Amino acid sequence: MKVHIMLFGQLADITGVDKITVENTLDTDSMVKSLQNTYPSLTQSTFVIAVDKKIISANTLLTDQCTVALLPPFSGG
Amino acid sequence: MTEKKIKNIFIAGPVTADFIGKSIQNHSSKKDIGGHSIFLGQIRADKIDGKEVAAIEYTCYEEMANEKMHEIREAIFAKYNLTCMHVYHSLGKVATGEISLFVFTSSKHRKAAINACEELVENIKSSLPIWGKELFTNETYQWKENK
Repeated sequence: MKVHIMLFGQLADITGVDKITVENTLDTDSMVKSLQNTYPSLTQSTFVIAVDKKIISANTLLTDQCTVALLPPFSGG
Repeated sequence: MTEKKIKNIFIAGPVTADFIGKSIQNHSSKKDIGGHSIFLGQIRADKIDGKEVAAIEYTCYEEMANEKMHEIREAIFAKYNLTCMHVYHSLGKVATGEISLFVFTSSKHRKAAINACEELVENIKSSLPIWGKELFTNETYQWKENK
C-alpha cells in the first residue's frame, strides 16, 4: 500500500522535503508518528491534516494511493 | 446563479491595476448590475524585530485551494443575490505596495455585493491552503500567520 505525503509552507522548509511516498502506513496517527521520528522538528510544528484534500479532525484510515497533506496555519490574502 | 466549473483563482505575481481595471470594464455590458464591491489585499511593509518586510512569497496547495474556493463560491451564491463573483490570488513573490488578493462581487443592489465581498475575504483568509513567506529587506524571512 502506497501513501503520498505532501508538506507545505514552513513544514517543507524545516524538513527539506515537500513530497514523500511511504508504504504500509495504516492510519494518519501512525503516519504522523513515523514522520516525526524521521523529522523530529515536526513535533514542534502546528498543522492540520487533509486526506485527499479534505481536512480531517480525527485519526483516519488510509487507503492505497491516497494523498495526505500536512498543512501549517494558513496565511493567504 | 451557480457556476459548476472549478475555476483557477491563482495568478503569477501581483494583481496589476490594469488587470483590475479591465475586470471592471468587462462588466459594463451587464446592465442588470447596480453595484460592485471590491476588496484589494496589499502587501504591508511590517516591521518585525527591527526588520522590514520587502515582499511576501506565496505558495499554495493549488488543487485543494481551488476546490475549497469552489465550495465557498457556491455557498456565497446561494446566500446572496449576486450577479457576479471573481476572486484572484497571487502566487510567487509580491512586493510591498503591490496587490495580492482581488475579490470582486456585483449585484443588482449594493448590500448583497458589499456583504458577500466581506464574507468572501474572511473565508479566503481562514480556509484556503495558501502560505505567505515574509521576505525581509535583509534577506532573512519568516512564515506569516493570519490573525
